[in-house]
Amino acid sequence: MKKIYRVFILAAVLTFCAGFALLQYQGQRLERYQAQFFDCFDTVTTITGYAKSQEDFSQKVGLLQEKLMFYHKLYDIYHTYDGMNNIKNINDAAGKEVVKVEPEIIELLKLGRDMYEKTGGEVQIAYGSVLSLWHKYRQEGIEHPDQAELPPQEELNRRAKHTNMEKMILDEKASTVYLSDKEMSLDVGSIGKGYAVSRLAEYAREIGMEHVLISVGGNVCAVGGKADGTPWNVGVENPDSNSSQPYMCSVELENQSIVTSGDYQRYYEVEHVRYCHIIDPDTNMPPDYFSSVSVQTKDSGQADALSTALFNMEYKVGLSLVERLPDVEAMWIGKDGKIRCSSGFKCNEKK
Amino acid sequence: MERMEKSAVPADLNVMKKNDLRLIAALVILAAAAFGGVMLYARLSTKEPEAVVYLEGEEKGRYPLSENITIEIRQENGNCNILQIKDGKADMIEASCPDKVCVRQHPVSRQGESLVCLPNQAVVEIQNGQEAEIDTSTN
Ligand SMILES: [Zn+2]
Repeated sequence: MKKIYRVFILAAVLTFCAGFALLQYQGQRLERYQAQFFDCFDTVTTITGYAKSQEDFSQKVGLLQEKLMFYHKLYDIYHTYDGMNNIKNINDAAGKEVVKVEPEIIELLKLGRDMYEKTGGEVQIAYGSVLSLWHKYRQEGIEHPDQAELPPQEELNRRAKHTNMEKMILDEKASTVYLSDKEMSLDVGSIGKGYAVSRLAEYAREIGMEHVLISVGGNVCAVGGKADGTPWNVGVENPDSNSSQPYMCSVELENQSIVTSGDYQRYYEVEHVRYCHIIDPDTNMPPDYFSSVSVQTKDSGQADALSTALFNMEYKVGLSLVERLPDVEAMWIGKDGKIRCSSGFKCNEKK
Repeated sequence: MERMEKSAVPADLNVMKKNDLRLIAALVILAAAAFGGVMLYARLSTKEPEAVVYLEGEEKGRYPLSENITIEIRQENGNCNILQIKDGKADMIEASCPDKVCVRQHPVSRQGESLVCLPNQAVVEIQNGQEAEIDTSTN
C-alpha cells in the first residue's frame, strides 16, 4: 500500500510543478492593451502596447499621460499655469521682457526655427498674430454657422507684418526667450504636438516599454514594432468621410513616425466654401492644394512640421524638398482623391 | 535480505502496476473533465461584438453590433449624440457639438476602435470585436 501513496505523491508533485510552470508562463506572456485619454492637446491620445498585466500597463500609461500633460501645458498658447512659464507667458511678455523657460521650450523653438529655414518659411511658429485672428473667426463661425465670416484681408496683411522669426530671440545658455516685437506672438500648433510625441516615445523607452504605438490626435509614433516582431500597421485616413473606405492605404511603422495634415477635420465654412485651420504664410489664407499630406520619418516633431509645410506647398516644390531630405517620405492626397507618393514611400493596399 | 527483496520486487511491481493504471485512468479522466470544462467556459464567455457607450468615462450602455438600432445619447446638460448601429458597424450620425468632428469619423466595427466626441465627452468603443488589421490611424 505504501507504494500507492508514493505514486500518488509523485503524481501530485508533477501536477503541481506543471501547474506552476503554466502559471509562470502565463505570468510572463505579454498581452496587448490599449488606453485612451482626452485631456492633452485638445485631442484623443491612444496608447497601444504590451504588458504582463493590465495593472502594469495602466501604471505605465499613467506615467506617459503625466509626461504628455507637462508638454501640453508648456506649449499652451491660451492658458498660463502656476509654477511654470509657457508659450503664453512668452507671448504676454512680447516687447516687454525676457522670459526664463524650461529647456523643453528652447528645444521646441529651435526645432521651429530649423524647420522654418528648411522649408523656406512654409511652417512658421512666429505666425501667431495671423493665426489668432483666423482662430477667432473660425471659432465664431463654428459656433454660429449662419454668421460665419472671413477675417478682413487688410487686418490679415497688417498682422502679417509682425511675424518676423528673427525677432524671436533665444538665449540657450540662460534658457530664456524674448520676442522683441510687441505685436508678434508664437503659435507652436504646427510642431508642438509632434515634438511632444517624439519626447514621449523616448520616455516610453526609458520606463521599459519596448513595443508601443502612440497616437496623439493622429500624430503617430512607434517605439519598436509589435511584440511578435512585426511592424505596426497605420492606416492613412480617407479624407472623404462619406466613403465606405476608412483608409486610403496603410503603412508599416517601426521606430518611426507618421503625421498627417489635412483640411477635412478642423475647418469652418463661409458661404459653402471650406476654410481649414492651416494657414499658408505666403497668402495668409488656407491653402487649396490637397486634402491631406502625410509625412513619415524618424522624428515625430520633424514629421509634424513637414506635413504642415508640404500642405502649404505645390506638389512639385514639396516633392523636391522631400527628396532632398534624408529618410523623409511623404504621401499627398489630392482634392480629387488621387494619391501621389515620394520615391521611398511604401503604401500598402487599403484593407 | 537481499534475496528476499529481489523476490519482493516483482510482487510489488504487480501491485504498483494495478494501482498505477487506476491512478493514471483517474488522472486522465480528471484532466479531460477539466479541459472540457475550460473549453465550455471559454465558449460561453466569448461575447459578441458590441458598442459600449461612455459619458465622461462612465459606462452608460452596451449595444450588440448584430442588431440595427439608433441610440440617442442624451445628457442632462442638453448635449446629445446620435449613434447608429447598422450592418455590424457603429457610426455617429448626428451631434449637438459645434465642431462635428465625431460625425465626420468613419464607422467602426473592429476591436478597440472608437468614436469620440470631445466637446460632449462621449466615447463609443468597440469591445469583443474582430481583431483590427490596422493598429491606429493618422489623419
Ligand atoms: Zn462631436
